[in-house]
Amino acid sequence: MIGVAALLTLSACGSEREGAAPADAGGSAAPAKGFAADALIGVALPSKTSENWVLAGDLFTNGLKEAGFTSDVQYAGASTTVADQQAQISAMVTKGAKVIVIGATDAAQLTTQVKQAKEAGATVIAYDRLITNTPDVDYYIAFDNFKVGQLQGQALLDGMKAKKPEGPWTIELFSGSPDDNNAGVFFNGAMDVLKPLIDKGDVVVGSGQTDVKQTAIQGWKAEGAQQRMDSLITSTYNGDKKLDGVLSPNDTLARAIITSVKGAGKDIPVVTGQDSEVESVKSIMAGEQYSTINKDTRKLVAETIGMVKSLQAGNEPTINDKESYDNGVKVVPSYLLPPVIVTKDNAAEAYANDPKLAPLTQG
Amino acid sequence: MSRIKDLQKNLFGGTTSNARQFGMIFTLVAIVLLFQIWTNGLTLTSGNLIAVVSQYSYILILAIGMLMVIVAGHIDLSVGSVAAFTGIVVAKAMQEFSLPWPVGILLGLAVGALIGAWQGFWVAYVGVPAFIVTLAGMLLFRGGNQYIGNADTVPVPEGFRAIGAGFLPEVGPDTGYNNLTLLLGLAACAAVIWRELKSRQTRREMNADVAPMWISVLRMAVMVGVIVFATLRFAGGRVGTSLPISGIILIGLVLVYSHYTRNTIGGRHIYAVGGNSRAAELSGVKLKRVNFLVMMNMSVLAALAGMIFVARSSASGPQDGLSWELDAIAAVFIGGAAVSGGLGTISGSIVGGLVMALLNNGLQLEGVGSDMVQIIKGLVLLLAVAFDVYNKSQGRFSIIGTLMRPFRRDDPPPPTGTTSLTDAGKAPVSG
Amino acid sequence: MRSAPVLLEMRSITKTFPGVTALADVNLEVRQGEIHAICGENGAGKSTLMKVLSGVHPHGTYTGEIVYQGEPVRFSDIRASEHAGIVIIHQELALVPGMSITENIFLGNEPRKRGGIDWKAAQRRALELMAEVGLQEDPDTLVKDIGVGKQQLVEIAKAFAKDVRLLILDEPTAALNEADSRHLLDLLRGIRGRGVTSIIISHKLNEIEAVADTITILRDGRTIESLDVKADGVNEDRIVRGMVGRELHSRFPDHTPNIGEVFFEVRDWTVRHPISADRLVCKGSSFNVRRGEIVGFAGLMGAGRTELAMSLFGRSYGVYLSGQIFKDGEEVRLRTVSEAIDHGLAYVSEDRKAIGLNLLDDIKTSMVAAKLPKVAHHGVIDQVREYRYAEEYRQSLRVKTPSVDEGVTKLSGGNQQKVVLAKWMFTDPDLLILDEPTRGIDVGAKYEIYGIIQRLADQGKGVIVISSELPELIGLCDRIYTVFEGTVTGEVPRAEADPEHLMKQMTSTKKTPIR
Repeated sequence: MIGVAALLTLSACGSEREGAAPADAGGSAAPAKGFAADALIGVALPSKTSENWVLAGDLFTNGLKEAGFTSDVQYAGASTTVADQQAQISAMVTKGAKVIVIGATDAAQLTTQVKQAKEAGATVIAYDRLITNTPDVDYYIAFDNFKVGQLQGQALLDGMKAKKPEGPWTIELFSGSPDDNNAGVFFNGAMDVLKPLIDKGDVVVGSGQTDVKQTAIQGWKAEGAQQRMDSLITSTYNGDKKLDGVLSPNDTLARAIITSVKGAGKDIPVVTGQDSEVESVKSIMAGEQYSTINKDTRKLVAETIGMVKSLQAGNEPTINDKESYDNGVKVVPSYLLPPVIVTKDNAAEAYANDPKLAPLTQG
Repeated sequence: MSRIKDLQKNLFGGTTSNARQFGMIFTLVAIVLLFQIWTNGLTLTSGNLIAVVSQYSYILILAIGMLMVIVAGHIDLSVGSVAAFTGIVVAKAMQEFSLPWPVGILLGLAVGALIGAWQGFWVAYVGVPAFIVTLAGMLLFRGGNQYIGNADTVPVPEGFRAIGAGFLPEVGPDTGYNNLTLLLGLAACAAVIWRELKSRQTRREMNADVAPMWISVLRMAVMVGVIVFATLRFAGGRVGTSLPISGIILIGLVLVYSHYTRNTIGGRHIYAVGGNSRAAELSGVKLKRVNFLVMMNMSVLAALAGMIFVARSSASGPQDGLSWELDAIAAVFIGGAAVSGGLGTISGSIVGGLVMALLNNGLQLEGVGSDMVQIIKGLVLLLAVAFDVYNKSQGRFSIIGTLMRPFRRDDPPPPTGTTSLTDAGKAPVSG
Repeated sequence: MRSAPVLLEMRSITKTFPGVTALADVNLEVRQGEIHAICGENGAGKSTLMKVLSGVHPHGTYTGEIVYQGEPVRFSDIRASEHAGIVIIHQELALVPGMSITENIFLGNEPRKRGGIDWKAAQRRALELMAEVGLQEDPDTLVKDIGVGKQQLVEIAKAFAKDVRLLILDEPTAALNEADSRHLLDLLRGIRGRGVTSIIISHKLNEIEAVADTITILRDGRTIESLDVKADGVNEDRIVRGMVGRELHSRFPDHTPNIGEVFFEVRDWTVRHPISADRLVCKGSSFNVRRGEIVGFAGLMGAGRTELAMSLFGRSYGVYLSGQIFKDGEEVRLRTVSEAIDHGLAYVSEDRKAIGLNLLDDIKTSMVAAKLPKVAHHGVIDQVREYRYAEEYRQSLRVKTPSVDEGVTKLSGGNQQKVVLAKWMFTDPDLLILDEPTRGIDVGAKYEIYGIIQRLADQGKGVIVISSELPELIGLCDRIYTVFEGTVTGEVPRAEADPEHLMKQMTSTKKTPIR
């Protein structure tokens, strides 16, 4: 039986060297010409830890199908994220995907797979998270994350001023997962706004923890944020000391922070957020969380699919930033979408077109 | 009929082969064929085979060490954390002290040995169960990884990446294949033939029954066929790719450790300790030393696996090594090892690991989500072990005993008391 | 007895396992209220027959018919047979060591009250049952804290709790000392008077002769004959002839010892218990062994014989306190097992399965396990040499197996014991310590083992035999030491050995002078 198997497969044996184009033939980032209109497009996303990724996955599946492509959308497993994503990208390469869209789990650990994709002639688009440490990423598409940070910082200030017109205000800082390239960008954007005030003394970081390493929450995990907030309350705000605001990089962490504060019986401070998650929009409407950022996943996915379409046609996709995003090896051509800050005041307007969120903002 | 029995009996290493392994080889072939058809031939393309080897080599390396740990009657839950810890130590050392990468590798192995000595000490000399020691180790070294790496991702230099992402270099004339891989394949064919002839020779010297010549020829033909196929596939990948360096490291380790566990005193002692530690002790086996070395060896291999992964990922990250221990343990059990120790082979574990790897790969090629992949892998593990348990419960004592019976004799033995095939004595004794 | 009504009839029972016919057309007829012994060598099919009867091998897995109390029965599992009043007590007791006597007696059969267990009723009933079997203990004592003999009684009490009508005992006295055995046999006679029928499987033919009314003999899975003990004037030799199919002239092979000088001597050997520091398991024991001599160690269970042997063998039991070992006139220190092996000691343990063999191994691996370097080059095992040595021992010890590649579990007790002997002969020892070398082994194999022991002595080796069976020691040994409470209490040359005298020394601390 094994013999038969071996013979069968032997007969199909041959070198793949003739067929494949040498890796350095094209030279430029994108293939010289387009590709078939029904080609395979791979989409590798992180594990299903936030609503956004689940939504993005669905949008990609449907959008690519409507555009006539064959799609393969994969999420990394919850427990073995990095290794899983590596294997998934390899599988996409094997299947001959023409474009691979990657929402990286760990921005720095995909070098080998991206290289492999590149050599096989695929175009690599870093989606939402920039892939670092490699020359082989072609495009980056995301919301302007520095801007997101700036908006968060500004919202924090605005919110605190509205509650208490005169400073100084006491705040705490949180940032995202250190293995996510964006986490630092958000934080830097926010600090761009906050730093001058901190230096002046108008804003005081109660615990003194201002370094991104101290504020980071591994894996964007809610329990991590809650634990850190619990500790901060115990160490810094155990008495009557009042906390005015918390810079939170996203909604999941924001809600965890609010839970912690409520658990300690404190007044809820001004807490920022991002991602427009359902629970957080409810929370904003209820007056707990102060703000979130609307980064319309629909728009981002639509733009990405647009990029794939122009690649298919053999055109250079639209780029609006050729300077900002250096991944350590090269400056990656990027297309950035503008984010929108949402508070209770403008929620109805901001989510008017969102079938899921719009009803929440009524009344 | 007797030919088929001869075939069963002799095709896969004759009397020493574990029959579950035999079953697993069939499963492996079935999985490969299934996915080969299902994915329209993608499974056995050069690119995919190369990717599979480099993706799973570190798990298979862990399975080698885990097999020995499990055979000795222990378990090691810390391998993933040890791998991650070693990875970050090596990456940091190379980044901050600009250590040359070969020194980095040595450093990693030393770190593994040190951790192994620590765990081995508690298991062997203090007598804390390995489950507890390594559960502690899992926390300890995961924490160590985050402490040293600040939960950050640390890149490693180009040279270091070769052990995880490198391939045999292209040398010699343009044959349309990677020449070094071809040479390796040729050597492997020669080795297989030599070994077959040598084992016939040995059987003859032992006055044991030698398999019919046609079986030897068939076996050699199948093995050579598989090797030639694999060689051409690996040598025929895109220019610049071939048999991955990590695959070569894996093959080397498999050969060395198979030999060690099967043919040496040290290897025998591991099986003796796992089979019946008190009996082993009363036979002069130094129990503590065996336990110590087995645990230590595991950590060294975990360190190596960690470095290979880091090299392949080109950076050491905080999520390295997550749940690797489970993959390694699953591979070992699917490969026929007994939960209670004393049974199992390196080759079985490798086959078990490959079953998991190809299942994973095939499902991913099919675009099956990681949730379903996990469900399917879980079921495969459960069924593989259930198959074994079911066999035992059928009044047949052990898997080896059970499955070897039809492999060994051509006829069912007559009722008790007169069983003898080669018994020259024919003593009127009772038993 | 022949006049009593038939309680159980098993007709033409045939049971096959893959490749082996364990029972072929076996018939058994047991009458109401008798003690029916089933005899046969190991592997003759006794245990299988009882498993068929008790439903362990359920109806459908065998052919033939079982008629019980006049009606054909088909048991699907043990519960079904227990429901019919058939209870089997296995050689390996089915008790939970960490539970009390009461809990064990009612395990799986708990008296219930309103959904819970009625412990009061259980306690009361347990006391009654314990009185019936003559067990004097607090019913709350944990089973692990009472001796094997009493544990056996708990098993029987447990059977009574299930309203037993037919009690099957598989080797009930194998692990008991003489006093406990006697008590058990008396108990069997007692319950016969109350109408309980028993089937007893035993290798101890003297016990069978003493207690059984009827004997059915099995050989090679077939019924050989059924004997009425009183009517047929059955004695031990008669039973043996039925079991082995030939006369055994003597239970021991003829042997003329050729005894040399003292080469091994132990002085004032004192060892304490591994856990409790104030308990001495060996107290100032001294003895010696000559070349070519077979030395017996007689003692009751728990007298410290095994502890003495194992502590000598590389201190593998207890904590060494004081004492010296001399070999060939020089003092040797044997701190580890490998040192002991290197100095020519070999210890064959009393429990083959638990600590003597790795049951996962095959025969050849087991035989060379204690001295692997002898078959290895630079640590690599030479499989040809291994095979040849194993084959040599297989032939010289007549191990009954088709091949040395077979697993040891497939061997009968006697053949396993031969493998263990081979394992230790392979280490080229000067002194072999054999702890209960014939336990659980049938008559024919015992005879062979005795022959091997004598051959070893003839080669100039010293052999120590530890045994609970005095006739065995008297028949085999050139000299016998008695052991009581961890001390050597006496020494008797073969010519003067008689059971009564030995028993006296085995039960008192009074020392007789040692030469």
